Amino acid sequence: MTDSSVFADATQIAGTGEPMIELVGVDKFFGDFQALKDINITIGKQEVVVVIGPSGSGKSTMIRCINRLEVHDAGSITVDGIVLSDDIKNIQEVRKETGMVFQQFNLFPHLTVLDNITLGPRQVRNLPKAEAEELGLELLDKVQIPEQAYKFPGQLSGGQQQRVAIARSLAMNPKAMLFDEPTSALDPEMIKEVLDTMKELAQSGMTMIVVTHEMGFAREVADRVVFMADGEIVEVGTPEHFFESPTEDRTKLFLSQIL
Amino acid sequence: MKKNLFSNWYNSLLTIVFGALILWVLYVLVKYLIGVDTEIIRVNLKLYMAGRFPSEQLERLWGAIYVATATVAFFARATVRNAQMKATEAGLDFERSHWTDVVRRFWPIGALILFTLSFTGTFTPTLLTLVAAAIGLAAYWLGGMMPMWLIRRSWIILVAGLVGFYAVLVAFGGVGWDLWQGFFVNIVITVAGISLAFPLGLMLALGRRSTLPAVRVLSVTYIEFLRGVPMITLLLMGAFALGFLIPGDFQFSLFLRLLIAITLFQSAYIAEVVRGGLQSVPKGQIEAAQSVGLSPWKTMRLVVLPQALRNVIPAMVGQFISLFKDTTLVYIVGLLDLLRAVTISTAQPEFFAQGLEAVVLPFAALYFWVGSYVMSRESRRLEKKLGVGVR
Repeated sequence: MTDSSVFADATQIAGTGEPMIELVGVDKFFGDFQALKDINITIGKQEVVVVIGPSGSGKSTMIRCINRLEVHDAGSITVDGIVLSDDIKNIQEVRKETGMVFQQFNLFPHLTVLDNITLGPRQVRNLPKAEAEELGLELLDKVQIPEQAYKFPGQLSGGQQQRVAIARSLAMNPKAMLFDEPTSALDPEMIKEVLDTMKELAQSGMTMIVVTHEMGFAREVADRVVFMADGEIVEVGTPEHFFESPTEDRTKLFLSQIL
Repeated sequence: MKKNLFSNWYNSLLTIVFGALILWVLYVLVKYLIGVDTEIIRVNLKLYMAGRFPSEQLERLWGAIYVATATVAFFARATVRNAQMKATEAGLDFERSHWTDVVRRFWPIGALILFTLSFTGTFTPTLLTLVAAAIGLAAYWLGGMMPMWLIRRSWIILVAGLVGFYAVLVAFGGVGWDLWQGFFVNIVITVAGISLAFPLGLMLALGRRSTLPAVRVLSVTYIEFLRGVPMITLLLMGAFALGFLIPGDFQFSLFLRLLIAITLFQSAYIAEVVRGGLQSVPKGQIEAAQSVGLSPWKTMRLVVLPQALRNVIPAMVGQFISLFKDTTLVYIVGLLDLLRAVTISTAQPEFFAQGLEAVVLPFAALYFWVGSYVMSRESRRLEKKLGVGVR
């Protein structure tokens, strides 16, 4: 593929130095179309990795494979020591450990904001109702919308909904968070409030993989930036390396198009 | 008015022609209603409502009505208190609905009861109806003292009501369901049909989406087979063919066989309605539920089904209304329901060949219309109420 210096960089994980998520030789096909080609990357504990790249490059597919919303066809994915397999128990263990935030929020419209957040803790972690609600209110406080607890998602703005979605994931006390273009469906004035919440989360030491087009966020918060194109990881590096002196032509082309 | 009705010459012509037509229809209708002789209804009211239910046992029927009234009132109070409790927990104001709301929702039924009572010869039925109303109010009031555990498990009230209803009618030498007739049997088949066909249809819809091929194939076969057969065929089979398939010791009454036929038929349709609802829930909802770690079963029960069922309330209630009206088809296989009762009354010697079908058929239709109308209005109300959190 590319020269070895890039890969030396890719294995040099940030954070505490211990691996949290490992992808080795991951392939993924949709019919004849290969969406992921030999993906190798290790994300360290407490590391924040931002994934960028043109649409259709496999960014979303990659993080959706990590909590098995998509099933990879070859290679191995390990999350906090658990190797993903077809075993449903195994999959649920991984899903308990990883929170996911979606582009379209995907809040449950028939439940109040608080019930959205407490559903996981109560039904999966078997937390008593009172305890779960206490936790839920605490998290709503953290994402700065405690007054919305008893409203329904449809009554909230997009930015508020996305912050509820983040709180919902955090309620499961995950070890890693996956963000799939969390600000792409938001009106411009609401992007900042969501990014601020994510920044705080990163500073608190959460392991995060963020697929986004927000270059400012990547520059400011990421430990490493991953550039993907055509289902491959093209280049991995620190934000400084990435935005100041990218080595790959495809990266340069992409950056010239968006910056 | 001039702009809407007489803007140019052909519009004026249409207005005049249709205006005359409407006036003529009104004239005929009023003239008919003034001149109509309701003697046939007066004489046969008991036949219409209860068929050949033994007259000396009629107090059992009233008892059953009382049990049903009390059950509904008790259950309604439990539902209200449940909603109240949830609102208080969430720190919200609970808006207790005013009694006039209840009147506004169910006045057609009240009017129909008054209409029915206007045909009775003695004061007794009116008195007994008043007793029913009193029992309903008393049960609602008593429901205020219901313990918490019962409010949370209000289905117990329904089960107890069902057992009580059956016991009052049948226990200690009572009247078995082979003698449940008249409009009473239309109501019983509707309620029983809905409560049996809905869970069965739900299971079939889930079965159709199952990952187990055997379950899926069985569900699809069942649904497609039963939807492909006219309901009358099923009723005829229930009435005449089922008897040959079942060993002599296990024979059961015509009523039960027809109830089974209707339930099987309707469950296939309900399954398709539910399937439509399941498909209307976006994939992202399932993914979100999965990513917080919910098991497939809990994802279905807590996230997908509540949204799916809410989305198909109109279609579902439409199915229930059609079930209600289709209960008259039991007429064909000889069960004495309201429609059959009114038809045979026109064959009685004193009413024979006097064109009284024109009186009794609209009379019977009114009962079905009121029932369907109230159901459809309740469905719209439910839709609105559950629409609070729509995206």
